[in-house]
Amino acid sequence: MNLLDGYGMDTITMAGSLEAKLAAMKRVGFSQVMLMARDLVTHPGGVPAAVQAVQDSGLRPTGFQVLRDFEGLSGHLHGYKVDIAKSMLEMCAATGSKVLLACSSTSRHATQDLDLIAADLKKLAMLALPLGIKVAYEALSWGRTVNEFPVSWDVVCRADCPNLGIGLDSFHIFAAKSSLDAIEELDPEKIFLVQLSDFMWQETPTFEERMTTARTFRVFPGEGVHSEQLADLVMRLDRIGYRGDYSFEVFNDDYQQLPLDTVAERARRSAFWLHENVLHRSAPLPAWARQRS
Amino acid sequence: MNLRQVNREDVPEMPNRLGIAGIEFIEFATSRPQALGQVLENMGFRPVARHRSREVTLYRQGDMNLVVNANPDDARVSGTIDGQPAISAVAFRVQDALKAHTRCLELGAWGVPSHAQAMELHIPAIHGPGRSRFYFVDRWQEFSIYDIDFKPIPTVDQHPPALSGMNYFGVVQYIGAGRSADWLTYYEHMFDFVSIPDEERFGILPKGKLMKSPCGSFLWQLIEPDPWMESGDDGPECLQRIGFGVSDVGEAVKALKTHGVEFVESTQLHPEDRGALTRSVLGSVAFELVHK
Repeated sequence: MNLLDGYGMDTITMAGSLEAKLAAMKRVGFSQVMLMARDLVTHPGGVPAAVQAVQDSGLRPTGFQVLRDFEGLSGHLHGYKVDIAKSMLEMCAATGSKVLLACSSTSRHATQDLDLIAADLKKLAMLALPLGIKVAYEALSWGRTVNEFPVSWDVVCRADCPNLGIGLDSFHIFAAKSSLDAIEELDPEKIFLVQLSDFMWQETPTFEERMTTARTFRVFPGEGVHSEQLADLVMRLDRIGYRGDYSFEVFNDDYQQLPLDTVAERARRSAFWLHENVLHRSAPLPAWARQRS
Repeated sequence: MNLRQVNREDVPEMPNRLGIAGIEFIEFATSRPQALGQVLENMGFRPVARHRSREVTLYRQGDMNLVVNANPDDARVSGTIDGQPAISAVAFRVQDALKAHTRCLELGAWGVPSHAQAMELHIPAIHGPGRSRFYFVDRWQEFSIYDIDFKPIPTVDQHPPALSGMNYFGVVQYIGAGRSADWLTYYEHMFDFVSIPDEERFGILPKGKLMKSPCGSFLWQLIEPDPWMESGDDGPECLQRIGFGVSDVGEAVKALKTHGVEFVESTQLHPEDRGALTRSVLGSVAFELVHK
């Protein structure tokens, strides 16, 4: 068993072709990958070739991202988004991903009524259900109505659907300065995805600052200024019984112009930091991994 | 004195928002319609009509309509391997087919585009588990939908009686590991099916989760792979078999045996008062008898 099995990278962190990204992840020992729809549709061979590349890599898809601004719309906008969601679900299923990430809406056209938001998410979960896909609903820190994880959890509880859960993203939790105490309220079985990243400054008071930081200057866990909080978050998740995947969602303009192996190596160091220094998981490292350290 | 009972605690009636009133037909897809037809005839079905534009035959016995679809596109869509028949659709009788279809789409069902030809009925459908479909039929009281799309086979009795009084008792659906909660929610939300407690079971194959249609006229059984099974059993989700209700299992088994139907007999499973299972033929086709 590979000690990196519970951790994975997002394709969005690296530049280059899908095949090159998958190969770089594999070379440092990762066994899973969080896929971005753009990686599939921009593949020169189209979606089928991209799906083939994922299958050939042997990497397990952690999940598939990202459906945006789905909930709370009405009339034509709602119908349009249902169509988009169906296309995303079809791609998600084609890659063999079991989780679709849906981010909370930023749209000013969307209702702020949590019950209506929950009803739309239940519809999304129903669309996903025959395909065997779970929907992880994530609170973006600049979401209009849902921008902190306790609210996304509230909505998921209102919808009450087994294949609808939440996705957590440490960036948004730290950017919104959400209290980690509410982690205790979560059902670990309903956390379908945890994405981890950090950043380099303490304050992101405005939505604009959060967006800019989120999209250009995230870093791997252990590299930023919130290492203590990130460790606290992971420890709390571990304590309530979360045993699912941790994926590194690191948007970073610098990493986009570094060799893929360099970036993948940073991700591997981050996974080992989490595994050994934070979670203190006791199993010994295999020899091949020791040699790399 | 007012004898009218006031619903003091606001106890809801069992909802049936689609007005489901039973199964109108069940469809098999196959590229070997003759072979399947023989199996069905052994089970007591009779071919009564053929579709006007497609390679589709209607079989019937008693109240049960069964459609064998050998239209090449449909057989392919149903993913039948080597002609292995698959249950490709279940049609529910509903109050209003358009309303039922619209409601399901609003709840998150995937619609199926119709390919009805000129003058044929457009039967609204949604995608079901695997490659199967659910149809909604509302014209089952005033006239028969089969009169429009099908031509009766000449000289054949259009209403052959049911062998041993068989009727549709239920459908068995194979689902993925850990998927019971998902599908229970799906059927509850879409069709107002109701879960039956684990203690209450029918027939001789009590595994999995059991649901009842809101009209109470048929059951739906969801079966996950056994946890101890090696990773081999990760086949696609599908509608696996049909259950027929009979009042006397022993008599039905005897009658079917004279037609050449074989039954599974083992120490764990043998025909008895509560039910029986036919041996699988054509790679995938088995039927269950259940005492009702």
